Amino acid sequence: MSDSIVEFEGVTKQFGDFRAVDNVSFDVNQGRIFGLLGPNGAGKTTSIRMLTYILKPDSGSIRLFGTPVGSETQARLGYLPEERGLYKKMKVGEQLIYLCRLRGLTRQDARQRIRLWLERFDAYGWIGKEVGELSKGMQQKIQFVATIAHDPDCLIFDEPFSGLDPINSEMLKEVILELRDAGKTIFFATHRMEQVEQLCDDIALFHNGKLILNGNLDQIRSSYGHNSIRLRFTGDSRFLSELQNVRINNRSTNFAEIRLLDGADDQAILSQAQQHVRVQGFELVQPSIQEIFIDSVSGEVQG
Amino acid sequence: MIQKEKLLLIIQREYMTRLKSKIFIVSTILAPVVMILLLVLPAVIQTMSGDRVRQFLVYDETGIIGTEMVASDSAYYRMAENTPDELRESLMRGEIEGYLVVPHEVLDGQGKAVFYHGGTAGMSVTSRIRSDLQQIVRNIRLDRIEASEEVKQILADRVQTENLTITAEGEEAADSGFYMFLGFIMGFIIYGAMFGYGAVIMRSVMEEKTSRIVEVIASSVRPFELLMGKVIGVALLGLTQFAIWAVAGALLMVAAGPVISLFMGSGPETAQAAEAASDVAAFSIPPIGPMIWIGFVLFFLLGFLIYSSLFAAVGSAVDQESDSQQLQLPIIMLIIIPLMFLFPVSDDPASTLAVTLSMVPFFAPILMPVRMAVLQVPLWQFGLTIVLMIMTFVVLIWMSSRIYRTGILMYGKKASFRELWRWVREK
Repeated sequence: MSDSIVEFEGVTKQFGDFRAVDNVSFDVNQGRIFGLLGPNGAGKTTSIRMLTYILKPDSGSIRLFGTPVGSETQARLGYLPEERGLYKKMKVGEQLIYLCRLRGLTRQDARQRIRLWLERFDAYGWIGKEVGELSKGMQQKIQFVATIAHDPDCLIFDEPFSGLDPINSEMLKEVILELRDAGKTIFFATHRMEQVEQLCDDIALFHNGKLILNGNLDQIRSSYGHNSIRLRFTGDSRFLSELQNVRINNRSTNFAEIRLLDGADDQAILSQAQQHVRVQGFELVQPSIQEIFIDSVSGEVQG
Repeated sequence: MIQKEKLLLIIQREYMTRLKSKIFIVSTILAPVVMILLLVLPAVIQTMSGDRVRQFLVYDETGIIGTEMVASDSAYYRMAENTPDELRESLMRGEIEGYLVVPHEVLDGQGKAVFYHGGTAGMSVTSRIRSDLQQIVRNIRLDRIEASEEVKQILADRVQTENLTITAEGEEAADSGFYMFLGFIMGFIIYGAMFGYGAVIMRSVMEEKTSRIVEVIASSVRPFELLMGKVIGVALLGLTQFAIWAVAGALLMVAAGPVISLFMGSGPETAQAAEAASDVAAFSIPPIGPMIWIGFVLFFLLGFLIYSSLFAAVGSAVDQESDSQQLQLPIIMLIIIPLMFLFPVSDDPASTLAVTLSMVPFFAPILMPVRMAVLQVPLWQFGLTIVLMIMTFVVLIWMSSRIYRTGILMYGKKASFRELWRWVREK
């Protein structure tokens, strides 16, 4: 409990008849990357907006660094919203200084830190340009710098990789991991499951406003056991549809992830596969996050 | 509750980015130019068209008036050599611009001279012909009864009149016509400013919303601080613009006085023009008391605060300007209504209608300065209006910040009045 940076306790938020966040409780520890997962409209963004004190919960409490969220906690947060935006008519440098100062930095400190980060992103040359003149990718980088430049203890990235090319995505990933290693607590909201597997230490899974799964990613996965098959093959993949008691994920022309449901036998599937295609790889693994997600959501529906 | 440093930062940004913007610079220069043009252009056009050679024929039955008229300005008047019927024909063919028929009886103070023209003679031509004819007939008639030069002088003399207002302190203020004009000008300036700066606020809110920066800002400051910062920043901008105009105007006045009298003194041709010229020559701006200035600035500020909080609420409730029209309508009505009462209020500024309307917080920004220019508004009315306006502003900014708080995060739909009301009541 002692190193909990963020504590949600019975948080509920309603918009009219729509309950966006429904009695949600979870803790986040310092120095972790915490994945907020779930489809669109599951309650991720509303939770983030309450954490950033843009919205107030109808009931329940949110504590950040041990104190209730408020104007004071805002200065220690860095927030990259899913919907990006900067003042188009303002120069990059002026804009970043303004945003840093709104979060309590002095002009000198702001200037220094901005220079550091812009250089890191090979963007120092744009400092005198208006944001509107920059390409979309450049604006994304500037926005990322705006999120981290004031050196917040807790960072919130909502779909940070959308719209970035692979090179910049890699760079961003590197920086995020670096920040984590420096002791920052990082929220990472996404519905892209493969990014979760690469980055997150802990996750919280949202569905229809409710928290349906929460905990350490490795523990969650191992609790499911080795009940999935990663199959690589060449040949006609139509046989996959005929398999009984399985669920197929991530299917492509020469790959499939096969989740074994009750009564399915991995060896039987192997021999069935061999009858139809050339098997090039066959591996029994833990389920993917996507698989766990589907599992949890359908369990929620049945329960 | 309000964090002062953040508020100051926001005010500073709103003020500085706009101060440096092209729109501000252009509007600061252009607005007075347009205003001066509107005032000066008619006069200039008249002077220019006056250069056109105009000539009118005089068909004279008296045998003396026509000669006198031609003698007074032979370029302007010429004796007609044809009958009225022939003159009519040539007027219809466009060969002449107009002709005057002067019957016998005119010399006896009866009958009437008729001026025919093809519709091209304007006010200045008809009034000049009337005044020339008047003068000539009068002189001829006076000569006939052998009136003395003294009598002629008495009849030619104009009575000088002047209006003086005596204030409660016993001070005399001259020329109520000027103050009425001043009131009108101030009313119109504030009217324009309400719209202009209201639109600035609205666009600024919409810009933050459509560029999506607002969520980042909202995660750093309270929406109320952002809204207040915006409103105050733009108010300061407005005051800056007025200050620039006031200084430029004062310099211009000092420089322009001699120029105007020089320009106007270059040969007045009619009695009216001569009169106008002598007016201008003696023209010095009557003193504008400090109360008028204070009232103007105060009512501009309060009016701006009231209306900008309304415009900000509208801006936060829509995604694009075209969607804003329906929501703007009631605000626009509130601004336009006092304009319709501008004349009755300045004509009788102490009437119950004027007093009542000028104390309604939504109308006061335009009507109160108009009254203050024309008469001394009782202190209790002045004070009560200010208090009412401040209260209105506090209520409105509170409501607006609640609409704003919800509106800035709503995308993709146009809010109705009912929804806005729900946002206000929301916890």
